[in-house]
Amino acid sequence: MNKRLVIRLLGAIILVEAASMVPSLLIALLYREPGDAPAMFYSILLCAVVGAPMFLLARPERTNLRAKDGFGVVALAWILMSILGAMPFVFSDLIPNFFDALFESVSGFTTTGATVLQDFDRPLHGVRFWRSFTHWIGGMGVLVLTLALLPKLTGRTAHLVRAESPGPSLSKIRPKMGDSAKMLYTIYGALTLLEFACLMLAGMDIYDAALHAVSTAGTGGFSSNGASIGGYNSLAIEIVITVFMLLFGMNFALFYRLWRRDAKALWESEELKWYLGIALGASLLLAVLILPVYRTFGEALRYSTFNVATVMSTTGFGNADFNLWPIPAKMLIFVLMFLGGCVGSTAGGMKIMRVALLMKGAKREIARTFQPRKVQTIRFEGHGIDDSMLSSTAAFFGVYVVLILIGAFIVSLEGHYDVETNLTAALTCVSNVGPGLGVVGPAGSFAGYSNFSKVVFSLLMLAGRLELFPILVLFDPQLWKK
Amino acid sequence: MRIVVVGAGKVGRTIAEHLTQEEHEVVVIDKDEVALHRCEDTLDVMCVEGSGANAKTLVEAQVDTADILIAATASDEVNMLCSLMGKRLGAKYTIARIRDPEYNESLSLLQTELGIDLSINPERASAQEISRLLRFPFASDIESFAKGQVEMVLFRVAPQEKIAGIPLWQLAQSLPDMPRVLFAAAEREGEIFIPGGDFVFQPGDHVYVTGDVMSVTRFFRFLGKNTAKSRRVMIVGGGRISYYLARLIVPMGIYVTLIEHNREKAAKLSEELPQVNVLCGDGTSQELLEQEGLTDMNAFVCLTDRDEENLMTGLYAAKQGVGKVIVKNNRLNYLDIIADLGLDTVISPRQITSAGILRYVRALAGSAGTKVEKLFRLMNGRAEALEFIVREGAPYLGKPLKELTLRKNTLVAMITRKNKVIVPGGNDHLEAGDSVVIMAGERGISDLSEVIIK
Repeated sequence: MNKRLVIRLLGAIILVEAASMVPSLLIALLYREPGDAPAMFYSILLCAVVGAPMFLLARPERTNLRAKDGFGVVALAWILMSILGAMPFVFSDLIPNFFDALFESVSGFTTTGATVLQDFDRPLHGVRFWRSFTHWIGGMGVLVLTLALLPKLTGRTAHLVRAESPGPSLSKIRPKMGDSAKMLYTIYGALTLLEFACLMLAGMDIYDAALHAVSTAGTGGFSSNGASIGGYNSLAIEIVITVFMLLFGMNFALFYRLWRRDAKALWESEELKWYLGIALGASLLLAVLILPVYRTFGEALRYSTFNVATVMSTTGFGNADFNLWPIPAKMLIFVLMFLGGCVGSTAGGMKIMRVALLMKGAKREIARTFQPRKVQTIRFEGHGIDDSMLSSTAAFFGVYVVLILIGAFIVSLEGHYDVETNLTAALTCVSNVGPGLGVVGPAGSFAGYSNFSKVVFSLLMLAGRLELFPILVLFDPQLWKK
Repeated sequence: MRIVVVGAGKVGRTIAEHLTQEEHEVVVIDKDEVALHRCEDTLDVMCVEGSGANAKTLVEAQVDTADILIAATASDEVNMLCSLMGKRLGAKYTIARIRDPEYNESLSLLQTELGIDLSINPERASAQEISRLLRFPFASDIESFAKGQVEMVLFRVAPQEKIAGIPLWQLAQSLPDMPRVLFAAAEREGEIFIPGGDFVFQPGDHVYVTGDVMSVTRFFRFLGKNTAKSRRVMIVGGGRISYYLARLIVPMGIYVTLIEHNREKAAKLSEELPQVNVLCGDGTSQELLEQEGLTDMNAFVCLTDRDEENLMTGLYAAKQGVGKVIVKNNRLNYLDIIADLGLDTVISPRQITSAGILRYVRALAGSAGTKVEKLFRLMNGRAEALEFIVREGAPYLGKPLKELTLRKNTLVAMITRKNKVIVPGGNDHLEAGDSVVIMAGERGISDLSEVIIK
């Protein structure tokens, strides 16, 4: 491991985190609530004190990272960032227990939105905004942000960005990584502002609109309202949030091509067709399944579309407690929790592209059983897909499931929750959705789990956000040897 | 600039690597997914999979907004098609690698018809390089500037060399007979120096000396080095470089012996090159080499397709006492080790090709401010010699050089004014229209105003 470069990189990331806390500090200064501004201020100070020496004093001799080191750096960066990001919660006493605060912070950065918070009444506007703003930072990726700001930091950036960006293949939208990162953040910022404006029009106040805009953009799901979006009881707000959740679950390269007036891109994208097709089909099916609970089909459709969008984009907002729905509806939600959004979006989950590849691969294997000599290259997005890509997708799925099962088993050692709760809690963490079923449902929280389980959940969320391998590589002893 | 490179092979990769270091936006196109992945992993470029001769691929690489398209695939025909289509789709300039001698005959016609702005032939460029080296057998690199009036020659300081052990500022006093030349750059134990007044040469240093052709020749005669060109040259390997090389040096009155192991190839060569002594045999066999009079040769050039064979045979020839040994090596990884073994002249067609293309790109990129007229990569790319034309109205016109502040690690190596070459001292000055050669121990200088700070 190129230790000096790693330290310098981590330092840069911490400084970027310090800078990203500034908006929350300004909000805190605006509202003048006890304990709010000091909590943000001391957190920024702590980040600066930790980050600046690391960034300034480490002088790397070489600026290249090997693939494995790149993965390790990304994982370390996320862990460090989460620990420092938990400080505002601890300092403000909003979440006094460090492990609770860490869980909340990891849940924020990984855009999961699972919460241990139960006290929604304390007036801490700055810290609460930070809680949602972690979604915005984590959604597009802090390394991507760091590269947008400091493109010269390392020589080979492909490994770093690959480890952080969602999807099996790295697709740059501009030839240079730094330009690419800047462009992604520009699109991201513009869409967030657009949602902010729409939410204002739909009747939210300015603070709530900003908070929910950043929360949706990262497909996170933290809300300032204890009852989430359902608490506003406004159809307009729900429609705006539904549309934007689906938008942020789309590949950002598509927005770039649209911006370049290449409208064909939308029509050509096979993944988008799968994504919207599944969303539409699942919404209709879910509406039928929950019809007994609601009075009209229209009302059922309102709740089904919102919840399909929130689960598929892995946001995790709620406008209804799907825990109270009929069993088949809950089963459908459970299945949707695996899927996730598109490659290159801020959504979590397995990603639609992988699901589509798995389906196509499975279909081919079945066809082969009957026609052993059949030769068929699987195509996706108009290109032939390499067999190595298929097998790595299959491996990804395998590891994904095994990780959920192991996670569910470890937290079940506590012994006081049922299988449904433990299994969906692990699933919702790895998929970065937020709410699960049972005790961790939309109306519940993770607060009842022990500190140890919360650390396990935190690791699961990180593994899910970074698509498994960067976190797994940390457990490889070879990484730490010279 | 936005540059599209077609072909992620040896040359394509080298070019892309240099261009990204110089902050250009680079898109690489290749059919081979593996080569492409390697590019994507190690370089900051965008990769597009597909054939460069396919309009859809070129559009995907956004060739319409590209400033330069560089076609460097293994196939001449694909390169030509690429350039044609790239130009039609909106690329401003196109560069193509065209290597087949058949196409070379009608190159100018092809170039205008296909809209190729620069065609580069790696083998011919390498042959030209070798022929220059054969003129100064003790030199391991020769570059020429100012339409060939100024030369920059790399040589190794021998033990008991006259110039060794004396600080540069004392040289003129200690050695009054020494012709006036300038020491532009030196390499010692892998480190590059742009020598200042208190620099002292040590045996083993590799030094670039520059001056007008006569002074440089007289300087080497003063050092007691043999400046007579090689009279008898043996070439091993009958590839394209050998063909071009023979064509270049036979008219210079050099007797060429060419060894090729493939009989058909040898027969064809002898048909095309009637004045060359073509032999069919294994050029790596010591017996054959000795029989054909290796020890009588002034120079030995080894150009087979295998790097290892070239190196080993070259080492053998050097040991037999051949004055000048030139070998071809396409993989550059071992350059330092090779130099330690005593082979100081290694030719790499890949390096020569990419240097040629980069020179052109640099000149295009320098359109703002003073243009780089010519650019040479020296010492394995770690130092550069840049030629500029001084513009009207520059603030430093007419001021003596000793009053100007130069950028660190740079040196004004040569001034050419009205076809007269000046080896600059502290009292010389610059005039508008002068051609200036700047030595730099770093890369990335694109303007004269970056060198002369005040």
